[in-house]
Amino acid sequence: MSAHKPRVLVIDDEPQIHRFLGPALEAAGYEHVRADTATEGLREIARKAPDAVVLDLGLPDMDGKAALEKARAFYDGPILILSARDRETEKIDALDLGADDYVEKPFGVGELLARLRVAMRHRLHRVGAEPIVEAGDLRIDMIKRLVSKAGVALHLSPKEYDLLVQLVEGSGKVVTHRQLLTAVWGPAHTEDVQYLRVFIAQLRQKIEPDPSAPTLIATEPGVGYRWLG
Amino acid sequence: MSPDEPLRPDPDALLAATPRPGRGRLKVFLGMAPGVGKTYEMLRAARRRKAEGGDVVVGVVETHGRRETQSLLRGLDVMGRAPIDYRGRTLLEFDIDGAIARRPELLLVDEYAHSNVPGSRHEKRWQDVEEILGAGIDVWTTLNVQHLESLKEVVWRITGVRQRETVPDSALSRADEIELIDITPSELRQRMAEGKVYMADTARIAAERFFKPENLTALRELALRRAAQTVDDQLLGAMKRAGVQGPWAAGERILVLVGPDAVAGSLVRAGRRLSDMMMDAPWVVAHVERPNAPAPSPTASARLNDALKLADQLGGSTVVLTGDDLVTATLDYARLNNVTQIVVGKSTLPRRNPFRKSLITSLLDASQGAALHVVTEQAEAEPAAPRTPRRSLRSWPWMGHLGALGLVGLATAVAALTDRISDDANLAMFFMLGVLASGLTLGLWPALTAAAVSAFVYNFFFLDPRLTIWIGHPADVLTFAVFFVAALVTGWLTGRVRDQGRAVSRRAAAVAALLAASRRLSSAVGHAAAAQVLAEQLAAATNGAAVVLTPGEDDIVLSAAAPPLDALTSMDFAAARWAWEKGEPAGAGTGTLPNSAWTFRPLQGGKARAGVAGVEPHAVQAEEDARFVGALLDQGAVALERAEFAAQAADAQALLRSDRLRSALLNSVSHDLRTPLSTVLGSVTTLLDYGKSLDKATQRDLMLSIREEAERLNRYVGDLLDMTRLEGGALVTRRDWVDLRDVLRAAVDRVSRRLETRQIIRDFPPELTMVKADPSLLEQALVNILENAVAYSPDGSRIEVAAYEDRANVVIAIEDEGRGIPTAELERVFEKFRRMEEATDRGKGAGLGLAISKGFVEAMGGRIAAASPIHDGRGTRILISLPKEHQTPEQLL
Repeated sequence: MSAHKPRVLVIDDEPQIHRFLGPALEAAGYEHVRADTATEGLREIARKAPDAVVLDLGLPDMDGKAALEKARAFYDGPILILSARDRETEKIDALDLGADDYVEKPFGVGELLARLRVAMRHRLHRVGAEPIVEAGDLRIDMIKRLVSKAGVALHLSPKEYDLLVQLVEGSGKVVTHRQLLTAVWGPAHTEDVQYLRVFIAQLRQKIEPDPSAPTLIATEPGVGYRWLG
Repeated sequence: MSPDEPLRPDPDALLAATPRPGRGRLKVFLGMAPGVGKTYEMLRAARRRKAEGGDVVVGVVETHGRRETQSLLRGLDVMGRAPIDYRGRTLLEFDIDGAIARRPELLLVDEYAHSNVPGSRHEKRWQDVEEILGAGIDVWTTLNVQHLESLKEVVWRITGVRQRETVPDSALSRADEIELIDITPSELRQRMAEGKVYMADTARIAAERFFKPENLTALRELALRRAAQTVDDQLLGAMKRAGVQGPWAAGERILVLVGPDAVAGSLVRAGRRLSDMMMDAPWVVAHVERPNAPAPSPTASARLNDALKLADQLGGSTVVLTGDDLVTATLDYARLNNVTQIVVGKSTLPRRNPFRKSLITSLLDASQGAALHVVTEQAEAEPAAPRTPRRSLRSWPWMGHLGALGLVGLATAVAALTDRISDDANLAMFFMLGVLASGLTLGLWPALTAAAVSAFVYNFFFLDPRLTIWIGHPADVLTFAVFFVAALVTGWLTGRVRDQGRAVSRRAAAVAALLAASRRLSSAVGHAAAAQVLAEQLAAATNGAAVVLTPGEDDIVLSAAAPPLDALTSMDFAAARWAWEKGEPAGAGTGTLPNSAWTFRPLQGGKARAGVAGVEPHAVQAEEDARFVGALLDQGAVALERAEFAAQAADAQALLRSDRLRSALLNSVSHDLRTPLSTVLGSVTTLLDYGKSLDKATQRDLMLSIREEAERLNRYVGDLLDMTRLEGGALVTRRDWVDLRDVLRAAVDRVSRRLETRQIIRDFPPELTMVKADPSLLEQALVNILENAVAYSPDGSRIEVAAYEDRANVVIAIEDEGRGIPTAELERVFEKFRRMEEATDRGKGAGLGLAISKGFVEAMGGRIAAASPIHDGRGTRILISLPKEHQTPEQLL
C-alpha cells in the first residue's frame, strides 16, 4: 500500500470525541485531522485530501446531510457517518447520498476502526475491479456471469444475479434498500422492500453454507444489506 | 326555466319530496263545516289501520257527546290529558310530552285549529302537531276550511262570522295527504235538525246563521277548491320532480305593497290568494320606508309589523324598501325582481295633496309589463283604528305652529319699527326672514304656516290701504303675489331641508350606536365578556332588561344579564331552550310558550348557533328599533362565536406547547445522555484496545475525560431529577436561617474545578442579614447559574459574585463577561430546554439549569431575574433576591 500513514479527518463538534479518537487513530496507525464544524471540515477535505472522513450528522453550523452532499461534490473517498439511533431516517438518507457506512453512538473504537478499514479496502478494490470474486467455496465470475459453489454451477435468476453483484460490488459496505431496488428493479420500485426480502432469502438458500445463519449476506435492519464474503 | 335548457328535475322539488329523515307524515281530514263527520271518518280509518296491526294512539278527540263517535273510540288506545293551571282552574289539555314519550306509529289529534289553554307550550295545536311530526310520529288531524288563515276574510264575508281560531296556510300545505269529507249542504242541515251536529246552546242562534244553505254551499266550494288545489300542487310537484315542462305559469311574481294602514292585512291575504291562483307563484310583501316622512305612530307601525308577520305565516316573503318616492322605489324593485303582478290598496297612500297624482295612477303610468291589482276592500272592522296614522305628530307640531306665529310676530315688529326708513320691498324681506327661520328651526309645516300668515300680515299692515286686506296699487298686487309665492317656496324648501337633516341625523345616530356596539363587542376579550357586552347593549337598545344564554356542558346556561339576574324561571328557561334547540324565536309574543316573561331569539353565528338572547317583550316596538336589535343579535352571535373559536385556538396552542416540550425533552435526553456516554465508551475502548501503545499522558487524559463525562452525566441526571421534583410538586424545602455568603462560597467551590482560566471575583459585605432558605436548594440554584456563566463566557474572563441587601431583600448578583443574551430571549432564559447556541465546549448542558434555579428560588419565596447586556454590549447578570424575615435570629436573641 501507500507509504504514508493513511489520513483520517474527523468532523465532530464534541471535543470529547476528538479527545479519544485522536489517540486511538494515531495508535492504530492513522494520521488524525480534527475539524469542529462542517465548514472547517469541508475546508480540511479540500486542503488535506484525507484517505477517509468520519462525519458526525449533528453539527451546529450545517445539516449533516447538506455537508455530505457538498463533500461528495469534490471528494470521492470513503465517508463514515456517526449518528444517533433516533436519527434512523437521516442515516439512511446519508447512505443514499453517498456515505459509505455508519456507526451509531455510543460506539467502541474497535468497531469504528473496523468499519473504516472495510470502507478503505472497498475503495482500493474498486480501483482494481476484480472480475472474479471468491468467498469460501463460492466463486463468482463476473465476466462469464457464472456462479458456482464447490465447483458446481448454481442456477440464479437474472434478478438474483444482479442483486448478488450489487452486494459484492459494495464489498463490505452497507448497500441501502433504495440503492438495491433502484439498481435491480428500477427507480419506480424504490419503496418495494418486500421484493428484497424475498430475493435475498432465495439468494441465501442458494449460496449460503447455512441459510439460517447467513455468513455471506448480512442484514442491516431497517437500512439495507452488506456483503461479508 | 329557459326553454333551451335541458330539463332537469327541480332540486327543490326533489328535496321537498324526500321525507325529511325521521319526520312523520301528516294527513288532514278537511271539511266545509262542523258536523260533516271528519272525526268520525278519521276514527273509522284509524280502526282499520289498527285492525291491520298498526300502532294507533288517540292523542285527543272531541266527541262532543256524539254516540256514534264515542263508540268508535272503544278498543282504541286513548291517551290521558295533561292538567294545565290557568287562572286558578285546572284545565285538561292535549299531553304533547306524553305523546312524544309514547312514540306510536300514528297519533290522532283532533281539531287542528284549536287554540291551547294559555300556559301550554304552544299557543296553537297545529304547533303541537308540528313538533310531534318532527319527532317522527305520523299524525292524522281534522280541519274545517273556514279556519284557514287566508280564507278568514272570505268566510267572514260569506257568513258574517269572524273566525278566531285559524291555521296558517303553510300548516295545511305541509300535509302529505288531504282527505276531503264531503256531504251535501242539505244532508248537513238534515243532520243538524236531527241534533247530530254539536253546538253549544249559547251559540245556537249564531250557528243557525252560519248553517244557512247558501253559506254552506259557498263553504263547500271553498273546501272543494282547496282540496283540488292540493291535488294540483301534488301533481305539479310530481311534474317538477320528473322534470316535465309544465303548463304552470313560470315566472309569475307578485309584489304586494303595504303601508301602515288598516287594509294591510287584507292586502297580504289578497296576495296569497293571487299566488294560489297563479300556481303558487312567489309573492313578496313590500313596505316602502320614506326617509323624509315623519315616523309612523306606534299603532301604525304595529299594524305594519302584523301585516309583515302575516305574510310570513301565509308563506310569502317580505322586504322593506327605502326611497323618498313610493312609486319609483316600488317600480325599481319590481323591475329588478321581474315582478309581474303588483297588488296595492286604494287607501295605501293618504292623499295629502289633491294636486298630486294618486299612487294608483302613478303606478299605472309607470309600470311596464306588470299587471296592477287594486284592492278596494273595506278596512277590517277593527276597533279603535284611527284613520290618521299621524296622531303622534299632531301633539307637538302645535308648538311648532305657535313658534312660527311668534317668529312672524317678531318680523312684524321689526318691520313696524323700520317702516319709516325702508320701502315695502325691504319690509317683505323681514317676513321672508321669519319664514326662513321657521323652516330651519321648526320644520316644513310650521314654515308653511309662517308663509301664509306673513303674507296676510304684510298685506294687512304694510300694503296700502293699511289695516285692510285690500290692495290699492295694482303694482302692490304683483308685489303681494310674488311675496306670497316666494314665502311659500322658501318655507317649503327650508322646512324640507331641516326635516331631511333631522332624518339623516336620526339615522346617523342609529348607525353610530350600532357601530359603537359592534366596537365594544369586538373588543370584548373572552366568551363571558362578549356575552355581557351583548346583554348590556341589548338592554340599552330596548330600554329594558336583557339576558344571554350560551351552551354549557350539556345544556344552555345563563351567561350574562343586564341588569344582573341570578336565574330564569323554569318557564322562561323552557322557552329559551326551545329557541336554542329549534333555532326559532320563542317566549312572549311568539307562538311558543307565550306566557314566558321574555322573548328569546336564537343567536345564529356563521357556523353554528352561538346561544340565545332574551329581551323583555314590550321593549321592542318600533320597526327601526327591531331592526337595530336584529343587527345587534347578529353581531353578538358573531362575537360569541369568535370568542369561542379563540378559546379553542388557545387550547390547541397550549396542547402544541406541551407537545413541543415533550419532544424537547426527548431530544435532550437522547443527545445529552448519549454524548457523554459516547466519550466514556470511546475512551474506555481506546484504552482497552490501544492502551499499550499510548503514552502515560494520553492514557491519563483519556481517564480524566472519562471522569469528566461521568460527572457530566451525573449532573444531567441530577438536573432531570430536580426538574421532575419541581414539576411533580414533590419538592420539599427545609428552610433554615442561612448566611448567603456561606452558600455562595460553597457553590463557587463546587464549580472551581471547571473554571480553568476564568477568575471569580467575590464582592461580599462584611455584614449581611440572614435569610430563611433551604441551603442545599439554594446552593444548587447558584451552582447552576455559575455553571452557565462558565459555559457562556470566554477563557480568561471574570465572573463576579456579589451579595448586598436593601430594606426588604437580600440580593445575590452573578455577572459574567460572555456575549450576553439578546433582549428578545431574555424573558425566556428561565424556560426549560432553552439553551443558547455557541456555548463553550465544557458547559453544554441540557438547558435545564436556569429553569431549575428559578424553580428552587421561587419555592423558597424568592425571585430571580436576568439582565443583559451589562457592560459594553456584553455580559449577563442574574439576580436572586430573597425576602428578609420580619424578625432575624439576632433580634430574637
